Amino acid sequence: MKYVLFIICSDGLPAPADLAVMQRECPGWVKEMEGRGVRLLGRELELPETAATVRVRDGETLVTDGPFAETKEFVAGFDVLECADLDEAIEVAAKHPGSWFDTIEIRPFMDGLELGEAAQAFARNDDSAGSAYCLMMCLDGTPGSPEEEAAVVRESKAWGQDLKARRLQALGHPLQHKDTATTVRVRDGETLISDGPFIETREFIGGIVVINCAGREQAIEIAAAHPLARHHMIEVRQFCSE
Amino acid sequence: MTTPTVQRALDAAFRQEWGRVVAALIRRTGDWDLAEECAQDAFTEALRRWPVDGVPQRPGAWLTTVAGNRAIDRLRRGARGSELLEQAGREALSRPDTDEDAMPEPFDETDEIEDDRLRLIFTCCHPALPLEGRVALTLRSLAGLTTAEIARAFLVPEATMAKRLTRTKAKIAAAGIPYRVPPAHLLPERTAGVLAVLYLMFNEGHSASSGAELIRAGLCDEAIRLGRALQQMMPDEPETMGALALMLLHHSRRHARVGGDGELITLEDQDRGRWDKVEIQEGLRLLESALRRRQVGPYQLQAAIAACHARAGSAAETDWREIAGLYALLEGQMPSPVVRLNRAVAVAMAGDIAAGLAIVDELSGDDRLERYYLLEATRADLLRRSGDQDAAAAAYERALPLAPSEVERRYLLSRLQEVGDRTAG
Repeated sequence: MKYVLFIICSDGLPAPADLAVMQRECPGWVKEMEGRGVRLLGRELELPETAATVRVRDGETLVTDGPFAETKEFVAGFDVLECADLDEAIEVAAKHPGSWFDTIEIRPFMDGLELGEAAQAFARNDDSAGSAYCLMMCLDGTPGSPEEEAAVVRESKAWGQDLKARRLQALGHPLQHKDTATTVRVRDGETLISDGPFIETREFIGGIVVINCAGREQAIEIAAAHPLARHHMIEVRQFCSE
Repeated sequence: MTTPTVQRALDAAFRQEWGRVVAALIRRTGDWDLAEECAQDAFTEALRRWPVDGVPQRPGAWLTTVAGNRAIDRLRRGARGSELLEQAGREALSRPDTDEDAMPEPFDETDEIEDDRLRLIFTCCHPALPLEGRVALTLRSLAGLTTAEIARAFLVPEATMAKRLTRTKAKIAAAGIPYRVPPAHLLPERTAGVLAVLYLMFNEGHSASSGAELIRAGLCDEAIRLGRALQQMMPDEPETMGALALMLLHHSRRHARVGGDGELITLEDQDRGRWDKVEIQEGLRLLESALRRRQVGPYQLQAAIAACHARAGSAAETDWREIAGLYALLEGQMPSPVVRLNRAVAVAMAGDIAAGLAIVDELSGDDRLERYYLLEATRADLLRRSGDQDAAAAAYERALPLAPSEVERRYLLSRLQEVGDRTAG
């Protein structure tokens, strides 16, 4: 099964000493998990204040600065895993230094995530195709009418195909519902596991898309063209480059 | 016609075999709903057939085979069945042209069946599931309670409970929670997780006190039954024995702890003649064999404390010094303000009321106990014993608005009156 691990900073930035430990330990985790064939890709995101949240209402694109959730917690980055089951994903998350100081949220992908050429390039930190941006599809939990939902599915598909044809998309896939989320923290050597997403807001991340584009403006434009921007919102944030 | 003998056999089979049948079917089909439906079908079939054909020699094997055949039928009919059927076929479930009227072949995989039930209980109690869902799913799939029964026991509408069960099962499938007994390195913490679910179930029932809440009280029996089953499955696990001993020792006092008007009777005032001797003996035996293994854990310590009370012929004979020592050990393993508060009581009862009150005073600053009525109620009780009736009355009054239910409120009021009378006298 494929999972995404969201690394979530809970109280603003980690303390410098903790950050130092994370920076020191992370490469070892990546090496181990790639060696095991468990970690497929992953990258850190720029700070949340650099994010833009995009909505389209009555045909007008509304852009606000900052992340989708107005909480102290924010997504600092993510890793995509291929694991035998949730227990393995928990074990891998508990070895990630992020879980020692902050929190890791494990979310299963919907079936059918394939990582193509462009995703492999993203995994290698190869940004020659353009700057890498993350689009987080933030759903607010209110389902539309069946017709609306069907239209969203249809248009999302067309949107993805268009991006791929223009060689702009590295990766994009919906996640299972937030009810399937599991939160992992390690404190005093003990792995603490709990049900549900860590950020308890009405909005939750329903899917992630990675694009390579010319810059922030184009990333926002791409997000605004997604049907979810009309009913929900999309957070746009650049990945850190190596 | 169903004779009493057949009825008894059916009842017993339901109690003992439901979890086994469900567990085996989940392993073979991976489908929790299908497993429950087919187990239900098998029991319905037993109700029809056993009065005519007689009770099979091995009811569990009979039921599992009938349920398995039913699963194949349902999968053949179902649209999504082919894939599951293929999977089930690989597990050698399929038998050519099953004839349901023929007595099912006895099948000999006792170990596998025991493992199935363990797989089931560990999966139901997986820490990534919501706690309420763990308890509900354990009651549904292992104990065979209906959704309506579980809803009544937890005082929620049936639709709410149905949603809770559906959500929990959906997470198992969607998040990829494995159906297995955890590997050795995870076993201790996951076993503790299973025991926590059983003990929570027990406490839900134990806190029920009045006649209207008898269904809730049935949760105690279920928790003990599941605890026994777990203990049989993991006979060498001292904490499992400790948890079962703890539940039995508490349960032994159930007839003595509530009075005729539904009022709570404290340990001190309980009629010890009404304690269940058989359960006490079993609890003490279990505790003793757990402690012999020299891996003391929180359940064994709590059971050891309950055992001190069980062994005392009267409240006055209670070995409070021993209890205070056990609470100190428990605090070392499980630091919590509630454990410390209990230690304060034991220290006071062992003769040093001032030391007990000093611990209560220390705890007053703890935010976690801010709304906890037992902090003030304990202080009141210790003050009453020290002879300071005015201060005791003030503490009882502070405790009153925090009491969680009518039963506790009535208890506090009667104490308040008592100290008031003494002050007046």
